[in-house]
Amino acid sequence: MTFELREHTADVAVAADGSSLDGAFAAVADGLAAAMCESVPADGARFDLTASAENREALLYEYLAELIYQRDVRGVLPVDNQATIRHDGGAQEADAWQLDASARGVPLETVDAREVKAVTYSEMRIERTADGWRAYVVFDV
Amino acid sequence: MDTYDADGITLERVEEYVWEIPQEGEMNAPARVLASEALLDEISDDMTLEQLKNSTHLPGVQKYAICMPDGHQGYGFPVGGVAGIDAENGCISPGAVGFDINCGVRMMTTNLTYADVEGHEEELVESLFANIPSGLGGGGVVESGIDTVEAILERGMDWALEEGYAVEDDLAHCEDEGRRPDADPGVVSQKAKDRGKNQIGSLGSGNHFLEVQRVTDVFREDVADAYGLTEDQIVVLIHCGSRGLGHQVCTEYTREVEQAHPGLLDRLPDKELAAAPAGSQLAEEYYGAMCAAINYAWVNRQLIMHRTREVFERVFDRSWEDMEMDLLYDVAHNIAKKEIHDVEGEERELYVHRKGATRAFPAGHPEVPSAYRDVGQPVIIPGSMGAGSYVLRGGEASLETTFGSTAHGAGRTMSRTQAKNEFWGEDVQDDLEEQKVYVKAQSGATVAEEAPGVYKDVDEVVRVSDELGIGDTVARTFPVCNIKG
Repeated sequence: MTFELREHTADVAVAADGSSLDGAFAAVADGLAAAMCESVPADGARFDLTASAENREALLYEYLAELIYQRDVRGVLPVDNQATIRHDGGAQEADAWQLDASARGVPLETVDAREVKAVTYSEMRIERTADGWRAYVVFDV
Repeated sequence: MDTYDADGITLERVEEYVWEIPQEGEMNAPARVLASEALLDEISDDMTLEQLKNSTHLPGVQKYAICMPDGHQGYGFPVGGVAGIDAENGCISPGAVGFDINCGVRMMTTNLTYADVEGHEEELVESLFANIPSGLGGGGVVESGIDTVEAILERGMDWALEEGYAVEDDLAHCEDEGRRPDADPGVVSQKAKDRGKNQIGSLGSGNHFLEVQRVTDVFREDVADAYGLTEDQIVVLIHCGSRGLGHQVCTEYTREVEQAHPGLLDRLPDKELAAAPAGSQLAEEYYGAMCAAINYAWVNRQLIMHRTREVFERVFDRSWEDMEMDLLYDVAHNIAKKEIHDVEGEERELYVHRKGATRAFPAGHPEVPSAYRDVGQPVIIPGSMGAGSYVLRGGEASLETTFGSTAHGAGRTMSRTQAKNEFWGEDVQDDLEEQKVYVKAQSGATVAEEAPGVYKDVDEVVRVSDELGIGDTVARTFPVCNIKG
């Protein structure tokens, strides 16, 4: 799984690829961390988080919003992200898509990090590719 | 030139500095861009015009959606966008307000002159940086519990006054006197309050800053006199918003609106514009939560100003009252407020969405503080660290042209990624120091991202505002010290 930070006049965009949807989601999350901090130390304990939503795009939004929330209340930068996605509900069910994830939380006082305010739906894309999945997300900074 | 072609979008010149995208297809109104041709070249260089067109799809948009002279691409709704939307039959859109609710700016005047500060710049910038929380995880001036957060959400600047962080004049010189009466802390989530409780009185990062400035030019003596501005005077500018609390409110309501009103969402070209129909329960709840976040942002800036007064007291060994460190004005940027406006001869209540735009009410308007009612509401337009900032007053044409609004800054022209490739933070700091501008930031990357070269020409933005009569130039300031998160 890989990510790139993309040009955006005011904000920051992340384009990420993964061989699976799990990997593409985790790569976007790593891109979110990279948008906040260019180099991070190897310390920090892992923590778990979950998200659920009615469709794929909403699940990605909920996942990234939860990471930003956890960042503020735990006082850590979530890095080395892992995600597992399940789809086991009906098309319109609010929790049709479920995500279990974890991240290594690097204490903010140990890094020079800049704030990403929020995830946005603007220009969000999640697409199948020949090699797996690709996602594109704009973050408000 | 009577038309301007911008990558598939044609704008027609209505008058000097006014360009219109005619209504077509699913647009509910035309869109207008207020810009000189030089600014339009920059505005049309990214997705700004497409986002502006998209915003006219919101139901109930009145007259036209408008892009201010500093407009640029945002997410969903452009930054520098203004839309007056019918508050009875239209809608309210969290995305058209933005995540940083009441991101705004305040200016504090002093009786110090530049000569008083010369020689103290490094001590001042170091002390401000050490005492004003900034950056990610930097805490706040007040570390509080949920009860305090709820009191701030409910009472805004009244809370700051009761707790000794403000004086009566601070409230009198704040938009809405620093309190939105429609605030409802009960519809702000626990998660939002959790994020807010450790950030009360903090700058954050990105383009937010605190800047000590000197007044370099006064253009309208009578208005400057009413505002207490004179050449060579030292003033302080504070730019920040509602922090994680406001971001969480927008994040959650965007999702709630999306889920509750899919029919409306299907008619919108960008999911980020998700809106709640006027009169719906969610519209009322979002409005109450947004107003509460507005209150939080006013207190946030007030606590930073309070701490700034304390720093000045230590550095200059005088009380802040002796230095006459008074609030000139505090004005919001990212808001949607119920206001009464004239639409085709009829007075109507609108949700005026101003995303990256400043309220600019003219002289005589009852919502302008009594101290300024004869000259017009102060408007503060921050520029870049190398180009200075401006104080304007609400112009006579603003109500008719822009629902009482004008620009909010210089407006970016370059992405942060490109800025970091083109500028090196330490070089930017050194160049600025040669101009006697002392900058201190949490990281060099932040300085590079906010280099003067990444912004539009603020002089041109302000000139167009002045020419259009929506915001009249009063004074110009130039930085002395700047701290960034």
